[in-house]
Amino acid sequence: MLIAVILLAISQLPLIYCYVEKPGANGSPQRIVSLSPNLTEIIFALGLGDKVVGVSNNCDWPIEATQKPKMGTFWQPNTEAIIAAKPDLVVCESFLQHKEVAETLKRAGLRVISLRIESIEELYNAITQIGQAASCKDKAEPLAAKIKSELDQIRAKASSAKKVKVLWAVQTEPMRVVGVKTFVNEIIDLAGGQNVIAPTGDQYPSIGTETILTSGAEIIIQSAMGTEDIAKQQETAEKFWNRFANLPAVKDKKVYVIEADTVLRLGPRLPGGAMAVAKLLHPELFSQPKNLNQETKRTND
Amino acid sequence: MTDLLTPRRLISKIALCLAALVVVMFVCSLVGTQKISLSAVFAGPGNTPGQNTDYDIFVRVRIPRIILAALVGAALAASGVALQAILRNPLAEPYILGISSGAALGVMTAALAGISGAILGGSPMAAMAFLFAIGTVWLVWFTGHLAGGSTVTSLLLAGVVINAFFSAVIMLMTSLIDSEQLRSTIMWLMGSIGEKDFSTLLVSAVFIIAGIAALFTISQKLNVLAFGAGEAQSLGVNPRKITLVAFALASFITAVAVGLSGLVGFVGLVVPHSVRLVFGPDHRQLLPTSALLGAAFVVICDTIARTIISPAQLPVGVITAIIGGPVFLLLLSRYSKKVGTLR
Repeated sequence: MLIAVILLAISQLPLIYCYVEKPGANGSPQRIVSLSPNLTEIIFALGLGDKVVGVSNNCDWPIEATQKPKMGTFWQPNTEAIIAAKPDLVVCESFLQHKEVAETLKRAGLRVISLRIESIEELYNAITQIGQAASCKDKAEPLAAKIKSELDQIRAKASSAKKVKVLWAVQTEPMRVVGVKTFVNEIIDLAGGQNVIAPTGDQYPSIGTETILTSGAEIIIQSAMGTEDIAKQQETAEKFWNRFANLPAVKDKKVYVIEADTVLRLGPRLPGGAMAVAKLLHPELFSQPKNLNQETKRTND
Repeated sequence: MTDLLTPRRLISKIALCLAALVVVMFVCSLVGTQKISLSAVFAGPGNTPGQNTDYDIFVRVRIPRIILAALVGAALAASGVALQAILRNPLAEPYILGISSGAALGVMTAALAGISGAILGGSPMAAMAFLFAIGTVWLVWFTGHLAGGSTVTSLLLAGVVINAFFSAVIMLMTSLIDSEQLRSTIMWLMGSIGEKDFSTLLVSAVFIIAGIAALFTISQKLNVLAFGAGEAQSLGVNPRKITLVAFALASFITAVAVGLSGLVGFVGLVVPHSVRLVFGPDHRQLLPTSALLGAAFVVICDTIARTIISPAQLPVGVITAIIGGPVFLLLLSRYSKKVGTLR
């Protein structure tokens, strides 16, 4: 086996050398693979949807994306399927699993862009970089600018109001909440809220009952999980939070389950998510819904 | 009990297992999410990337992955054999003496410190996993020996305690590290056979094969050691020395394997026992045949893991346990009467 390995390694060297040049680096890509749901949304928003030849199993928006060939999961992309799709541009994130796949794809001569996208600022960057790579800067810049201006509008409108204390649960048992080093915290902030959680090392820290009880949360937001009906989740959430009867949010019946995709996904639908949050925090300011395709169920109004 | 082991029998059994491994590797290289044709593969890569995707998939995805799976399987199985021999404990496996928690701690440290770039030719995670794994087993070895008394018992105790302690440190770190990184490290630790570049595979192959070969040279002494330290001493084998050598080699190849693929469970426990049940307990044949069949086993499991829910993939550890468990129980019920004892 050792000999086989050595032979293979040697036979490999000239080939690696052959593939140094990257075709398509100057032309505009015609076959794009995206490995992450939010990147897929960006690519479709840039009007590149018909050039997409592969997405991750988790890419579920827009609906057209679900019809595209699947390239494995977000956490474990399938290198083989990606190469077979003959892409001339692969867009992925920069964390460990994507990095390993990206390295293999690059060795196979494919053009890969790896994007770190964990804050709203990085979202704008990602849009610009995809625009550059796909030669559609003319669409990328307006898209980034549009998201930015929509978010700025919400921020401006909410800035006059008193900050509402928000507790945002991503999971109830065990309790995990949105910490301050997250983009969700940025959304809470711009929608006129204030996260009740003090800075933590963990992005989504696990917290104890005592912290919840003394948080003084005026609103509790819980992002929906799974595919279960939101109204049902709302019912379960209200039951769960009733045990903290002294919390202002529970007293005032301000416990809301919110659609997760727009608020927990750093993509072009983020302004919609931010608007939904703003409406929960300051219904008096945002009662007239703008033309945003965000739907939030508020069964206990 | 099995018949006397002659060199001829030994060589024929090793050749048989080697042939099995080669066949398994070849067949598994033809299986995947995509259908590819061998003639297209032999046509070569073509001049531009993407021209011959069959070649790219075969040479750059499947072959490296299959070689990696084989290396990891061989290392874990051989290490399991050695540790079961020196610890004289059927429950011993490559991770029992703290390697798993040491590697995990290394990976977490790499993530927490934000180390990037390549260390020792591997990713920082792989390098840190390797270094911490080695560091941990030496810590176990020295504490075990400071404790004195029966070497084996204190080694096991030190291993268990250090495992528990490091697990606690890891829990502490997980509440400090930010989540995206944490999740990716945890996924990595769960065992991930991926594609590595050939230079990484080559270096690891040299280390692992050399380690297994070195273990093979002391396999006769491992046989003697299996009778117990006292008996070994009276037969002219220094139990402490041989334990140290076997321990060092076993932990070294395990650490290389962990650096390559995270913690692929179950192989180091179930392969040596299965081979022992079928072929008998003589370490001269148990060690090489376990290594070869362990390699074949992980190659098969990884092939299933990457194809069964395609295009998605399963962690290979899920398959090693789901296949390994029942197969082992079957062998146990069928052969244990014949062999008489587990060891």
